[in-house]
Amino acid sequence: MTKIIEYVRLYFRLVGAGVRAQMQYRFAFIMRIVGMVAAYTGTAVTMWIMLYQFKELGKWNFYELLFLFALAVLSWGFCIILFFHFRSLDTYIVNGTFDRFLVRPINPFFHFMAMKFDIGAAGQFIFSILVFIWVSNAIDIHWQFGKILFLLGAIIGGILVQGGLLVFISAIAFWTTKSERFYWVVMYPARNLTNYPLAIYPKFVQWVTAFVVPFGFVNYFPAAVILDKDTPYFSSYIGYFTPLVGIVFFVIAYYVWMLGLSRYKSAGS
Amino acid sequence: MDTVKMYTAFTKKAFMRSAAYRFDVWTRLVSNIIFLLMWMSIWFALYAGKEEASGISLTAMLTYVVVSQFLTAVNGAGTPLWELQEKVRTGDIALELMRPFDVPLRYLFADFGSVAFYMLTALVPLYVLLFFFVDLSLPTSWMTWILFIISGFLGFLIRYCIELTFGLFTFWLIETGGIEDIFYFSVSLLSGSVIPLWFFPGWLQTFATYLPFQGIYFIPNAIFIEEISGKDVFISIGIQFFWVAVSYTILRFVWRKASNKVIVQGG
Repeated sequence: MTKIIEYVRLYFRLVGAGVRAQMQYRFAFIMRIVGMVAAYTGTAVTMWIMLYQFKELGKWNFYELLFLFALAVLSWGFCIILFFHFRSLDTYIVNGTFDRFLVRPINPFFHFMAMKFDIGAAGQFIFSILVFIWVSNAIDIHWQFGKILFLLGAIIGGILVQGGLLVFISAIAFWTTKSERFYWVVMYPARNLTNYPLAIYPKFVQWVTAFVVPFGFVNYFPAAVILDKDTPYFSSYIGYFTPLVGIVFFVIAYYVWMLGLSRYKSAGS
Repeated sequence: MDTVKMYTAFTKKAFMRSAAYRFDVWTRLVSNIIFLLMWMSIWFALYAGKEEASGISLTAMLTYVVVSQFLTAVNGAGTPLWELQEKVRTGDIALELMRPFDVPLRYLFADFGSVAFYMLTALVPLYVLLFFFVDLSLPTSWMTWILFIISGFLGFLIRYCIELTFGLFTFWLIETGGIEDIFYFSVSLLSGSVIPLWFFPGWLQTFATYLPFQGIYFIPNAIFIEEISGKDVFISIGIQFFWVAVSYTILRFVWRKASNKVIVQGG
């Protein structure tokens, strides 16, 4: 227990320096946040136009769709802060700069995680929280204690699922010295896929996003519980498993990463 | 004649470069397939069992999406914008300015090479199979095929000019982060790449028809599914020619300003 507290303290020490460094470039920082919010608003506008004539997408109306989207954006915001830099592990390995994470008396996974803290993620938080407020008013979502607790669990689960996948992708670099590319060609499009209710996809895709790469737990299953929507092919209680799925998936990812680390041989000179 | 030879040499070199990095080239196909699956599912669900909406049949709409994803892949196969921007930031662009060729044309011809490789080895086989197995509508006459190819090519030129012009603003702005996101969003929406213009709210549709972006995806897609037909095809292609001319002129103008800027900054 004291060890955990020690690590948490250390984490904030390490990232604190990074945050101060980023704040020096105030203009760049603000532009990044504006860009993030603009990009997400762009997707929301696309959804609005899409439903302008059609009204519903797989029985989800515009507000429900927006809620689904914002839930994914919110947990992704935390993921950017904690794990987004894992995708570029390949650059560190190829340049030989990864070695510095191995010579300190702390867990290398933790050290690599605490290396970066991207405050640009504020854009994700601004966007998703504004959308939550707007949607809650528009379609009368009543936020009782139970629902808030459920939402928190869903967010934590979502962070762990997406973070776990980033850790998996990162681990590939230990074997193949490639990882960033996998993010852009697999995870980036897959994340886009989950901006829409999974019910619209072929059964096979739904099955994969539930049991293989559990993206469905990031937003679709929990949002279906909160908004009381049908999840064809799946029990309507499946959303309650989100935190559990997140923990299991992340723990597996962590061990795969550590396994990769154990067979890592430095590329440095 | 020598000039043509020089530029086609860039095309050949880019083709061979793609062949050398074919793993990287083909991985892009994975992402294209996922987006294709996504947009086909979305439109299938939007129709919700209806045979047609606003006079567009479901088959025609799915074909629109498939053709659009094909063109998106073609348009995305060239040198990415950030590579050029990086050259501006690091100053490497100066080396290219010293050489006896025109940089915008050099990159355009190099893009032809990368696109050719990607199309021949990945895109065409995949999309031929797709049309084989999925119930999509093919043009009924060979004339439509030819007009579609011309229109798609003009769209490629429009996109190239607009994107490069935008990229050149790096010469003046250090940080383009936020503006870039807005730019790409506007292009993807107003070009009709994922939602055809006829499903837009009226005012937005009018707005979009006065902009060059519709020439990138909307016009070629609509020609392919023969939603634009007869005399209108030639009018649409005329509009595309107009926008190629305009965007090329603007590109030249901004390029001249930008290269002067480099010379002024020196060192």
